[in-house]
Amino acid sequence: MNNDERSAWECILRLTLLLGVLISGCSGSLEQSVSRFEFLTPKPFGYVIGDEIAHRIVIDTRSGIELNGNTLPKQGELNRWLTVNRVEHSQSKTGQGMRHVVDIRYQVFYAPLEVKMLAIPGFSVTFNQRGQAIEQAVPSWHFTISPLRELAVRKDDAGEYMRPDAPPARLSNRETVSRLYASLLIVVLSALYLAYLYGYLPGLTRRGIFKRAQRQLARLPERDIASALSVVHHALNTLNRNPLFQHKLDEFYRNQPDYRKLADELNAFFEVSNRYFFAGYGDIGRDDFGKIERLCRLCREVERGGR
Amino acid sequence: MKVSLRQGVGWSLFAAGCLSVIVQLWTFNRIERENAWIAKLLSGHDIAIEKVIGAQPEVRLARAIYLRQMHRYDEALATLNLIIDQGGTELQMKTRYNLGNLYLAQAVEQTESMNFNEALPLAGLAKQAYRQALVLDSGFWDAKYNLEVAMRLLPEMNRINIGDDDPESKKSKLWTTVPGFPRGLP
Repeated sequence: MNNDERSAWECILRLTLLLGVLISGCSGSLEQSVSRFEFLTPKPFGYVIGDEIAHRIVIDTRSGIELNGNTLPKQGELNRWLTVNRVEHSQSKTGQGMRHVVDIRYQVFYAPLEVKMLAIPGFSVTFNQRGQAIEQAVPSWHFTISPLRELAVRKDDAGEYMRPDAPPARLSNRETVSRLYASLLIVVLSALYLAYLYGYLPGLTRRGIFKRAQRQLARLPERDIASALSVVHHALNTLNRNPLFQHKLDEFYRNQPDYRKLADELNAFFEVSNRYFFAGYGDIGRDDFGKIERLCRLCREVERGGR
Repeated sequence: MKVSLRQGVGWSLFAAGCLSVIVQLWTFNRIERENAWIAKLLSGHDIAIEKVIGAQPEVRLARAIYLRQMHRYDEALATLNLIIDQGGTELQMKTRYNLGNLYLAQAVEQTESMNFNEALPLAGLAKQAYRQALVLDSGFWDAKYNLEVAMRLLPEMNRINIGDDDPESKKSKLWTTVPGFPRGLP
């Protein structure tokens, strides 16, 4: 081997070494990427068939590293006696990195004849960092499981002893009763409201002002205009809480806007009243009594909310 | 007579309230009636099938219990299959548990008669039903106990050693055992 060949080989060797150093510098090591690994488990004893076991894995990593969800255990049967019921992964920012929390709920379906130690198998969680995979091993977890029944066969009248059927719970009528009370309340309240509108509530006499006036008019002898006018004046005064005169009708309408629709009839009534009491027209017309009755009836309709 | 808007609202509320009262009273009566049917079935007396048809799934569950007590297994199975996905979690759990009991009772009977070929699939179905019930409620102690009974009736040989739980051995070791209860110690 001459000098040229030797120098060429040295050059190749140096380049290879340099490349190796560069590659190892680029790759993320586990120690650098995962700053914290915590495996939280419950007590490792006292389990029976059908029990659920909750595991929590807490892993802190540098930012920019993503957990590969496919490497977590899948929901479903892991083996004959172990099922994964739920897998939940959540991540949050912590300082300069990320915190990954993985909650796994296992369920054990193993029927031991005596207290027996079992193991939930371990697995590796993979993180991806710029196309490279970093693995974090989760160790297997050992626990003991106990039988529920004795080894010897226990029999009752029906043969092998087993727990009886589960009877259905009594159907609850609580919601129905609540809805019934609510419906009854609506009925009572709406009935009270209607009674109020129709003036049947004894406490709310202002709803019955024209009802009483109508009764009084009905009892009056025909042609007794003076009494009829007095009755309606009294009803209007009671409603207005003050004596009502024709020139104060606008103010009355502001306080009792429902009666504005009877403005023509009320004006006509006051004109008849003025002519009768102040102009001295004793005989003011044959059908005036009927008009007063009609006004009272219309007022009664307004009072009941009918107009 | 003219009816105002307020009167219309009042009458509408009143009518709706009355209608609702009637509906709630009818519902209350139905619930009480169905509770009486459940009590009757659980006390060992049958009710007419027409009553069960439109009733809540709880009534069917009670009838399935009655039918199993009467050893009318096929009818009980058909009844439970009808309500397997009905109702809330608690009812579904009980349905699956009772279904497991139904299979297990038959498996035990077949085992006692030395009909192992018939007992094997029944015990397997019982285990499956109990496991489903326990997935819904892992604190269901009766299901735990009866699942253990079913497991003892039909032991799974590859469960003995932890190392045998890999998926390949799971496929290759079906029905490697004879059903029956270990006699145990005196």
